[in-house]
Amino acid sequence: MSLLTPWFLLGAAAIAGPILFHLIRQAVRERRPFSSLMFLRPTTQRVTRRRKLEDLWLLLLRCLCVLLLATGFARPFFTHNHTPPASAMGSRQLILLLDTSASMRRDGVWEQARSLAKKYLAETAPSDQVAVLTFDREPHTVVSFGEWSTWTGDQRAALAQQRLDALSPSWMGTQLGPALTDAAEKFTDDSPDGKPAGHRELVLISDLQEGAKLDGLQGHEWPAGLRVILEPVAAKSQANAGLEILNPVGDGGPVRVRVTNARDSDREKFQLMWHDAGGTSAAGGPMEIYLPPGQTRTFTAPVLPTGTATAELQLSGGEVNFDNRSFYAAPEAEHLTIAWFGPDAGNDPQTMRYYWQLLFPETPARQVKTVSPVVQGTFSPDVLNQSAFAVIPGRMAPGEISVTHDWLARGKTALFVVTDESSASPLAALAGLPTLNITEAAGDYALLGDIDFTHPLFSEFAGPRFSDFTHIHFWKHRRLDIPPAAQARVLSKFDDGTPALAQIPVGRGNLLVLAAGWNPADSQFALSSKFPPLMQAMLDWSAASAPARFQFNTGDAIPSPDRPGSAQVQWKKPNGKKATLAAGAAFSETDLPGIYTATFGDRQRQFALNLPLDESRTAPMSPDELSRLGVPLQTLTQMPEAKGRQIQIHLQRTELENQQKIWRWLLAGVLAVTFGEIILSGWLARRPIITMVSK
Amino acid sequence: MAIRSLELRARVVVEGFWNGLHRSPYHGFSVEFTEYRQYSPGDDTRYLDWRLYARSDRYYLKKFEDETNLRCHLLVDQSRSMSYGSTGYTKSDYARTLAATLAWFLNGQGDAVGLFTFAKRVREYLPARHRHGQVRQLMLALEREPEGGETNLGEPLRRVAELARKRGLVVLISDLLAPVDELEGHLARLGAAGHEVVIFQVLDPNEIAFDFPGAALFQDVESRREIYLDPQVVRAEYQRKLQDHRLRVQGICHKLGFAFHGLVTNQPLELALNEFLRLRSRRGKRIRRRSPATPPP
Repeated sequence: MSLLTPWFLLGAAAIAGPILFHLIRQAVRERRPFSSLMFLRPTTQRVTRRRKLEDLWLLLLRCLCVLLLATGFARPFFTHNHTPPASAMGSRQLILLLDTSASMRRDGVWEQARSLAKKYLAETAPSDQVAVLTFDREPHTVVSFGEWSTWTGDQRAALAQQRLDALSPSWMGTQLGPALTDAAEKFTDDSPDGKPAGHRELVLISDLQEGAKLDGLQGHEWPAGLRVILEPVAAKSQANAGLEILNPVGDGGPVRVRVTNARDSDREKFQLMWHDAGGTSAAGGPMEIYLPPGQTRTFTAPVLPTGTATAELQLSGGEVNFDNRSFYAAPEAEHLTIAWFGPDAGNDPQTMRYYWQLLFPETPARQVKTVSPVVQGTFSPDVLNQSAFAVIPGRMAPGEISVTHDWLARGKTALFVVTDESSASPLAALAGLPTLNITEAAGDYALLGDIDFTHPLFSEFAGPRFSDFTHIHFWKHRRLDIPPAAQARVLSKFDDGTPALAQIPVGRGNLLVLAAGWNPADSQFALSSKFPPLMQAMLDWSAASAPARFQFNTGDAIPSPDRPGSAQVQWKKPNGKKATLAAGAAFSETDLPGIYTATFGDRQRQFALNLPLDESRTAPMSPDELSRLGVPLQTLTQMPEAKGRQIQIHLQRTELENQQKIWRWLLAGVLAVTFGEIILSGWLARRPIITMVSK
Repeated sequence: MAIRSLELRARVVVEGFWNGLHRSPYHGFSVEFTEYRQYSPGDDTRYLDWRLYARSDRYYLKKFEDETNLRCHLLVDQSRSMSYGSTGYTKSDYARTLAATLAWFLNGQGDAVGLFTFAKRVREYLPARHRHGQVRQLMLALEREPEGGETNLGEPLRRVAELARKRGLVVLISDLLAPVDELEGHLARLGAAGHEVVIFQVLDPNEIAFDFPGAALFQDVESRREIYLDPQVVRAEYQRKLQDHRLRVQGICHKLGFAFHGLVTNQPLELALNEFLRLRSRRGKRIRRRSPATPPP
């Protein structure tokens, strides 16, 4: 028999009380009425100590009552059905799932986790099948079931522990849900003999931080017989706050930073301060911010010196430092050149050019410049080559067509607006078609009828709120008769069934053909709210302009800054390591926070990679959250504030005691003994005592 | 004391002795006519009604109800000390039953019986009479619960001497647990008035043995005074003092020619009655012996 709270047995010392009371003769309090005291003389009353105990049975009952009460409070329980240690339970499959996310870098957390894992390894029996997995953003296998079974029995634990020693926490976020489901599937996948094991244990050693992602747990079918044992590890210090620089919208604008303070933090005041690449503090001093625990707010960071390309924003005021810096890479403004073929003047509202140049106002992120490739009456191919996009309003000189065709074939995109029947010849030449028939459409006006919303150009309008194009009247339009050889894709049609917008592939590029102009004589298209987004979608789709990101999280793949077909891109990591990738290939070795530099041609672009902000939410997650999502937890073996294995053993003992509830029987015994004591003391008190008989 | 009715208790006791044991030493003054009875040979001719014979030529005997000259006053102590008892009933119960028994007995043989109940002073007084309903009234007076108070023997005896002017028998039933310094004077006054006095001292067995287990606070039921007593320590002295007290009362009685009889409440009442009759018989002989000049009836 064991005791859950043995210190309550000290209460048994209270039996000294009854013994003492039975030894001490108290002052006589019994009154006896007597007829007359005329013959009596008072005797001296004395308080004496008895030489021997009187009313021994009464004393025994009282002592027994105290003993039972003390034993009951000590909460005894039998340990014969105690769960045996893991090493004594025979064959089993055990997976140690070790958290290596960035939050495990906190003081003492990783050491706790590794020692726990080693302890589990040391307790394994020779018949056990063990695998060791780690996870951060993705799960990784350290020791598989297959490897474990190939090792000899006496070396298994030592070899696995060696591999554990080589591990260290990464700088990634925590994807707990996928890690759990992936580890659970290992039981069946990696079972060496293929037989389902009856006893499966998945030991999750993690700080169980609140910011861990639990995707994929809901509704997951867990293998039969699986028990997930939580082994939470806790940091010594809990005052943690983290920050994340939001993706800047353009250079020169204010930098916004999102700061989160952990729910269990005891700090509320923090400071934000810029450091340059060399680590020196920027001028201006720190900025004080106030953030209560458990909250996340967005602040405007201190103003950066003009022209700063990269910097590091430092958050101070917390005790945990792994997530106290966020790197910043200034976005580069995009300079786009669009070639405009044609004589249209920009100041005539009756022309298409007038509306086109109003489409792309200059912003800090992008500057769009529309130029004519004809310089001083002479076509300049260089201008066209430097352009990202081209608009051809109906007519082209014969010398321009071939150059533009080649330009298109290299992967560019141009918009050809059919203005009249004479546009057929240059259009056919550009598209590489022998002939193309264009006729002026008759009738009152036309509307856009059939629209292919699956195409990227129209996908933004796919929603029912935006898909109404019927208010755009086309007073004039042309009937395009595109031969099948053109392999054209009609993106929209007029209500008479003729193509309104078609995509004709030219080499690696595309030629978009619009059968009506947006000048007021042709249509109301330029007045429509659909016009700017559709033109912007053309620009984006043609890859002339893409929304550039310069802020990433660790683990994210950085898209190539250069389009495919260009020269190779050389990448440089924050630790100085270099890698060369083909243009267009994303860079995925983003395992460190910091500034990544991509060099392509004679240009250079810098990207900032930071920890995900969720990793800073280090307050412990309630294990109930996992239970709610259906994770088959064995028991809450250890709370985050618990220390070491003793707490787990204590909880197991508590559960045993809670099942047996022997204290109830002891309490019933106390009641029975008390009842007996009352009867006995009452009987003793009624013994021969003279009482008055009153009538 | 199992019988609740005092009258019934007295009757039960008396009937056990109702076998003609008693004869009145004072009979002979028959003045109250009761009935005529035809003469039969052997009858005393002194009682022939000659006037009736003259009128009717028949011999009739005149029957007269005997009238005794005994007037008995029962003095019953109802002080709080009498409410003590260790035998399931109190000394007061015992005393009242004794008084009722005597009253029933004396009334049965034609004596006039009166009653005084007292504590510190006289509470109830019934003049000694022999008439119908006297015993019932006496029983009712005895059955009234005593109010209690301290024992004072002087005042009741003085009142008896004042109220009972004709000589008679005075029976004092008390525990006599009071100072007896003035007792002799009051009793002598009764004796001087021609009263014959019989004293019954009623005590509880515990009052005699004083055998209590363990020390306790003993409370005087009359004065409510409390003193701590270890019975083992004080028993001998107590018994000696009690005995001295009884001997002193006994000496007074002997000196005045009064009868004294000690009763313990665990004794049967029949014994008390028997003792009373024995004392009365001896007293009757003594009276006759001391007054030879009394004319025969």
